[in-house]
Amino acid sequence: MKAGNWLEGHPRRGVTVAATDSLSAAAQALLDEPESRDVYVLDEAGRVCGHLGFRRLAGILLAHLRPSHSRRQLIERITPGTVGEYMDERVLCVRPEERISDVFHQHMERRVEDIAVIDDDRRLLGVIRVRDLLRAALAE
Amino acid sequence: MEILLIGILLLAGLVFGTLGSRYFGVPRVVGYILLGMLFAPDLLGGALGVDTTDWTRPMVSVALGIIAYLVGGSATIGQIRRLGWTIAAATVGKVAGAFLAVFMVFGLLGAAVPGIPGWTFAVVLAAIATTTAPAAIVAIIHQYRAAGPLTTALLGMVALDDALGLVIFSLVLALVGAAGLSEALPGVVWEIAAALAIGGIAGWVVERLVRRLHEHELRLVALIGGIILLTGLAEAWHFSELLAAMAFGFAARFFGGAHSERLFEPVEQLEELVFVLFFTFAGLHFDLGVVVEYAWLILLYFLLRAGGQVLGSMVGARLAKAPPEITRNVGLGMLPQGGVAIGMALLLAGQERFAQSAELIVNIVTASTLLTESIGAVAARYGLRRAGETDRTLGGGVDEGR
Repeated sequence: MKAGNWLEGHPRRGVTVAATDSLSAAAQALLDEPESRDVYVLDEAGRVCGHLGFRRLAGILLAHLRPSHSRRQLIERITPGTVGEYMDERVLCVRPEERISDVFHQHMERRVEDIAVIDDDRRLLGVIRVRDLLRAALAE
Repeated sequence: MEILLIGILLLAGLVFGTLGSRYFGVPRVVGYILLGMLFAPDLLGGALGVDTTDWTRPMVSVALGIIAYLVGGSATIGQIRRLGWTIAAATVGKVAGAFLAVFMVFGLLGAAVPGIPGWTFAVVLAAIATTTAPAAIVAIIHQYRAAGPLTTALLGMVALDDALGLVIFSLVLALVGAAGLSEALPGVVWEIAAALAIGGIAGWVVERLVRRLHEHELRLVALIGGIILLTGLAEAWHFSELLAAMAFGFAARFFGGAHSERLFEPVEQLEELVFVLFFTFAGLHFDLGVVVEYAWLILLYFLLRAGGQVLGSMVGARLAKAPPEITRNVGLGMLPQGGVAIGMALLLAGQERFAQSAELIVNIVTASTLLTESIGAVAARYGLRRAGETDRTLGGGVDEGR
């Protein structure tokens, strides 16, 4: 099935924040949408420019609960920055005309659960939730 | 039979370390080292047909390259700026204090006491003394739920000081063995400049390659392949393998942007494997006769390193106008010495120019690691308590900038 067709039957608005927002603000935005696991970062023109996953956010904000850190995590723990400094700039996005089966593997490898569907101007049209895909597969 | 021995060291080391930690409350590294001692060439290793430890050197080179890569990529320039003056000054003070104390006293001893190697021995040992074991300190902070300015300073310092230590150690290796400074200078410049340039280029190339790889497993192949290739090139073209690996990590992080998990997470998962190898290999080199004969040197090294870094970090923190709870306690939290120090010592073993001193250095560093892992934990806990920073996180708060 094509991403655009799926979105028509399962319209889901993605969680978005600005690159200048704090990590806490991004976490709060995700918590306000309990079914969402990924936050997309928009630039000033409203285009998708980055991505942060729930696990990554929780890993940074709850670092003090972990008994061991890599050196990279140590530095992250004591130098919190803005969303823009932690987001993945190379966002995996899907165009409406692309088939879900062609992009699913890459998203799973990157631990992305809300697959962003964007238009030619990189504006977010919605997200395909892996949770919805699983629900549909079980119902078949 | 070496492959058989490596398998035994890894699995039995894991069992020894875990059991020791669980039932006797000793750090896992103690179990790793003891297990390595059992399989030394003149004990069970000899029975397995392994008569030397020369075969460990290529593995140590690659393993230390992995650690240097992780150290090089541990922070972005923006994060280093945000660390602040207190952490930067205390780290420089701690590293300088440990280096100077060990170098000066051991250098004088080498010149005055027969049977102790000379200035080369002192300067290499001093470079090794600058490193710290982050895992031990993080575990203490976690165990005592510590939070506050001292805790933040300690976390920053343990993340940074191995980088300084690796740079100093690389510079020392480049300089040691040269007949004279003017004669050595071109070689030293080449060793450093080539390492930085080739490591930097490797970081850019591998970062570009990793962008195209979505599978975790393939990224690991690219990253480890890069580290091994650099280590091999360093040996063939005579530039510093450690500086090159650090430059590789730094460049990969720089070109990869802030979200560089994919460049480091696969390699970070190998860190414990590397340390099990280091500690068990150190056990293989352990010589009870050397330790007994030079017990006073081991104790002296321990005291000088501890005293130098306590004083140095105190001076550094005071210069940065840090509050008293930091200046008075920061050095106490930095005593544990671990895998990086042992890896550096192992790298010297088998090198002709360190023929006289390598075994002694490995034994001093290994024995003092056992000391610092236990005494260091007590000192860190004392420092954190004195600063009033224990039992501060109850698991509820978000640790954003505390």
